[in-house]
Amino acid sequence: MSNQPIDTSIYSAISTAIQTEAKRILAEEQVSAVIGYTTARRQGSAQPIVITAANDAAKLIFSPACVNNLAVYLTKAKKEIPKQGRIGIVVKGCDLKALVGLMGESQLRREDLYLIGVPCAGVLGSTVQPATALTSDSIAPKCSECDARLPQGCDFVPSQTPATPELEHKYAAEIARLEALTPHERWAYWKEQFSKCIKCYACRQVCPFCFCEQCLCDRNKPQMVETTPRPAGNTAWHIVRAMHLAGRCAGCAECERVCPMDIPLNLLNRKMAKELKELYAYEAGFEVQDKGPLTSYEEKDDQSFIK
Amino acid sequence: MQKYISQQNLNTLLDTLIKQGTRVVVPHLNAGTPLYEPLQSAAEMITDQLPRRSAKEAFFPVCEDIMSYTKEGQQVSVADIDPSRFPETVLVGVRPCDAAAIPVLDAVFSWDYKDEFFLERRRKTTIIGLACTQADDACFCSAVGLSPADTKGSDLFLTPLEGGGYACDSYSEKGEALIASHQGLFTEPNNATALPLARPQTEAFDLKRVKAWLDEHFEDPSWDSIATRCVGCGACAFVCPACHCFDIVDEGTEKSGKRRKNWDACGFWKFTHHASGHNPRDQQPKRYRNRIMHKFKYYDDKFGQTLCSGCGRCIRICPVGIDIAQIVEEISKK
Repeated sequence: MSNQPIDTSIYSAISTAIQTEAKRILAEEQVSAVIGYTTARRQGSAQPIVITAANDAAKLIFSPACVNNLAVYLTKAKKEIPKQGRIGIVVKGCDLKALVGLMGESQLRREDLYLIGVPCAGVLGSTVQPATALTSDSIAPKCSECDARLPQGCDFVPSQTPATPELEHKYAAEIARLEALTPHERWAYWKEQFSKCIKCYACRQVCPFCFCEQCLCDRNKPQMVETTPRPAGNTAWHIVRAMHLAGRCAGCAECERVCPMDIPLNLLNRKMAKELKELYAYEAGFEVQDKGPLTSYEEKDDQSFIK
Repeated sequence: MQKYISQQNLNTLLDTLIKQGTRVVVPHLNAGTPLYEPLQSAAEMITDQLPRRSAKEAFFPVCEDIMSYTKEGQQVSVADIDPSRFPETVLVGVRPCDAAAIPVLDAVFSWDYKDEFFLERRRKTTIIGLACTQADDACFCSAVGLSPADTKGSDLFLTPLEGGGYACDSYSEKGEALIASHQGLFTEPNNATALPLARPQTEAFDLKRVKAWLDEHFEDPSWDSIATRCVGCGACAFVCPACHCFDIVDEGTEKSGKRRKNWDACGFWKFTHHASGHNPRDQQPKRYRNRIMHKFKYYDDKFGQTLCSGCGRCIRICPVGIDIAQIVEEISKK
């Protein structure tokens, strides 16, 4: 499929709308802080920012480089962000699904948040320079199969509507390719991918659902998982990570974006999501669910795996 | 004295070395990711991408065994690793930012404790640097006193030429020796023009001024604004050519196991977590402060050098866009 441009002209008006709203809610003291994006030094780049003064609202932007899922800053893993009073946060649809998941896990309360939703045409993939134009090639793989371009249930959403064309579903295609392999071939694929892992734990640190105050994989008395970046420890870590996120992962793909070794981690998450949809009709969405599919039991649940 | 080597002869050189049993470590693609790794064939070498991890792992691997043990009944036996068995190595296509960091690492690994693992590999390695013709706006070698043609750390240095091939200059006995033992592959220099060098866009930092500020500002509110958003992963340290912290772990069963040396990072909360439960770096900005302090103050205090060669890797891979070049530039203006 040829490289198609993706229209991001709405982002300028969205940036202005975010600034105006953030300024208002800070000035009216509806929130104590707003977590959003601002420009960074490198051409076209963006970075997370926490603002507490109405005058700083002008720093906020939205652009194809606003890749982060800022929900991570609301978890108890990020103690540096004061969680006093209500906090405003800029969320794309995928980010919002993670917040909704955190609410379902009693980590956050809706009334403590002021959600500024972003109508999102897509953001850049991790392998391109930040100044790259958004196209069907440069777009993050997760955006190719996004069903959440317009976040629902926010306190404020700018009125623009994204016009992203239908794109080839990059994860679905890759999962289909991997599923067609023999188990031996599939194992060889993952072994090669995991061999690159250096245990920097960027995947864990950016994940909104990795909020354990002490990760099992950091324990050494007793050691649960080899901490060493060798085949056994790497494979164990990535399996633990994928399984712990099954039924929780909201698909923001931050793990994959930040992996300095390009390990396609979100493929594991998407595969688990696919299984959960087939087995339990569960999907991450905009509605808070009290119990996740793997934390509840019903007699009609599939039991064919018990042999 | 300058020599010329064609691309074809360089490939022949590497293939010959591989056949002779030399470990030839070169940038290549591993499952699509550019890395410095031992090659099977010179044809796999790439020169157009900065490897994602630095060349330090040729001497200081991500993970290495430093001892093994077995236990039979009450009998425990411990076996050391014999560094004399490390292979002769040629490290090829090393960018100046990576090569320049190697002498910086020499200083720390041969300081109060002589790290035999690092030093033995280092003794057995010849480094062939490659002038850099590609920079992006994360590159800042020129800001920390280096340049895309800096030969620091290289035994031989290749400069790509118009029309193909390389001008080859020697900067050490190891370099001379490599040329001498493969003389037929090197010819007299031709008059070809060098390809245009990369042009990093960052102005030189006033490193003295940066250090002077750091000397006085261990406590400063700007650390919070710099690093509150840091998520505490180890990516910046792990891709860095100069970061060199490691952790030692024992892994195995009650019957047998290994003692291993693994890369570690000051960004991890566990890095300074005491057995008592106390953590003197209890918040992320304190951990990030250590990264800056170590690179631009502590290392300078001890060894008179800066622990940063401006490769820009940490800037490119930081999950939250923390930009060390911008931070240091701002400090230099305080």
